[in-house]
Amino acid sequence: MQYSLSRSLNQHLAILLKWTILLFFLVFTFVPLGWLVLSSFKTNFEFETKPFALPAVWQWVNYVKAIQISGLPRLFFNSILVSSLSTVLNLLVSALAAFVLSRLRFPLQNAILTTLTAGVLIPIIALMVPYFSIIRALGLYDTLWGLIVTYASINIPISVFLLHGFMRTLPKELEEAAVIDGCSLFQRFSRIVLPLSQLGIVTAGTFVFLYCWNEFLYAMLLTSSVASRTIQLGIRFFTSQFFIDYTAMYAAIVITILPTVVVYILFHDKIVRGLTSGAVKG
Amino acid sequence: MGRTALHRVPWKGIILFLLPVSVLYFLFFIYPLGFVFIIGLTQWNGVTAPQFVGLRNYLDLLQDPTFLLSVRNNFIWALSLGLGQIPLAALVAMILARKPRGWKFLRTMYFLPNVISQVAISMMWIAIYNAEYGALNKLLELVGYGHWARNWLGEIETALPAIILQQVLYIGYFMIIILAGAMAIPSSFYEASEIDGASVVQQELYITLPMLRGILVTSMTLAMAYGLRHFEATFLMTAGGPANSTSVMGIQLFNNMSFLRYGRANAIGSALIVLGVLVIVVLRNTLGRSEGISEIQQ
Repeated sequence: MQYSLSRSLNQHLAILLKWTILLFFLVFTFVPLGWLVLSSFKTNFEFETKPFALPAVWQWVNYVKAIQISGLPRLFFNSILVSSLSTVLNLLVSALAAFVLSRLRFPLQNAILTTLTAGVLIPIIALMVPYFSIIRALGLYDTLWGLIVTYASINIPISVFLLHGFMRTLPKELEEAAVIDGCSLFQRFSRIVLPLSQLGIVTAGTFVFLYCWNEFLYAMLLTSSVASRTIQLGIRFFTSQFFIDYTAMYAAIVITILPTVVVYILFHDKIVRGLTSGAVKG
Repeated sequence: MGRTALHRVPWKGIILFLLPVSVLYFLFFIYPLGFVFIIGLTQWNGVTAPQFVGLRNYLDLLQDPTFLLSVRNNFIWALSLGLGQIPLAALVAMILARKPRGWKFLRTMYFLPNVISQVAISMMWIAIYNAEYGALNKLLELVGYGHWARNWLGEIETALPAIILQQVLYIGYFMIIILAGAMAIPSSFYEASEIDGASVVQQELYITLPMLRGILVTSMTLAMAYGLRHFEATFLMTAGGPANSTSVMGIQLFNNMSFLRYGRANAIGSALIVLGVLVIVVLRNTLGRSEGISEIQQ
């Protein structure tokens, strides 16, 4: 009797502990973000005096100010351009490589694959000086193209890894039929393997796009003028642009976060798949 | 005829298909690697010709207390992530693997901060840790601990722990990787042990943890590698201050580069690369071979 009682007490404690842990991390993930969003709707006076209360009047004007002061439209345009072109360029070169590395058999194949994917071992921040020199030498300093080429290249290892892993699983028979029908190598790629790899391409593409959208260091190092400033670098200048108008600045930050949250909500299953594709053996 | 066509090596096509990737990979991985190691042996301001100075940059770095402090901080980062974040991520993953109510929602939510830029996250924490209007101090005042309020990022004792803590508690990335591993364990293992009267805790200790060994080792290795290459949050929140107390190797590299000390900057870069690879190789060999996942970014 006593045994079963203590056992059920333990079970209750275990359930309590379990939900405490889960809730703690949920709170940690969302309360700071929620506080930021809430603050972005307040007056600066409210923000300093009642930091945890709801705004008396929701200050949508902060968002209007945010867009006017920060030059957000230009920053958004640059970031969208850089992120999408980097992603397309990266996927194109990576898919071409992943195709021959996964669908054909030839000497040195494994060495090439290993070399390309081993790029993930290199801390990209260690390459600040050479990237700066290369982009200058190519005449791409302070241009969006400089960022596009850099981002597309940095993400080659991850994309080749994901696309190779995906293309490897496609059945061989499809291509055999195509070869009998006289398809060229490029037709096998563009008409058969590429359309069938859509899922892998979306997964890799989501990763690359988010990386480009969020990248900060090289956006800072490789550009100097407002014309080629991306959104992340723009956020850095908010502090001086908004001066002491904190709540309008938070509104600007919230606006910059929104697109990634939307992308995440739309593609979160692809992201989870991409993250776990290499994690589980067999 | 068809089969031989499929198995003949179409060299021309292969070279054409691999050409774009090779050009970019050479330009942004192979050449920069050589560049970092070679320029690291010179004195160079980026304008006049580099002068070969042998290992002098490295010897200078070993005498530089700020650099040594930065290396120490990098190791604190690596240990905090490897021994702090990974166990927390594993704990949550093991809970979610038993599919409690709303586990999919929780999995999605825990990962969300990982898709938000480090710049935005850092700006948020700057606001939270701020001495005058920061949410943390206001919260402490609210619950009657106002005397604990301080300038969290501005004081030497609290700056490093403050940056590390917010980063360690974002467990989403590794939690998802470990969770995938935990969910791949055949449920028959648990059913069999249940018949033998094993408790939940016993099942986790004697089934889940040993089965996850490979993934945990990989995650720990990755987390420590991230710790060594840590840069962004610190750069954005304190830029290495106050009094270099939060500095890491990446910050020192950046500062040397800003002062046009390219030789020294690249010596730090090569130290970063070598240490990173070393940590991965050593951990793999001591903790046992890890399987699968090989994706590290940044």
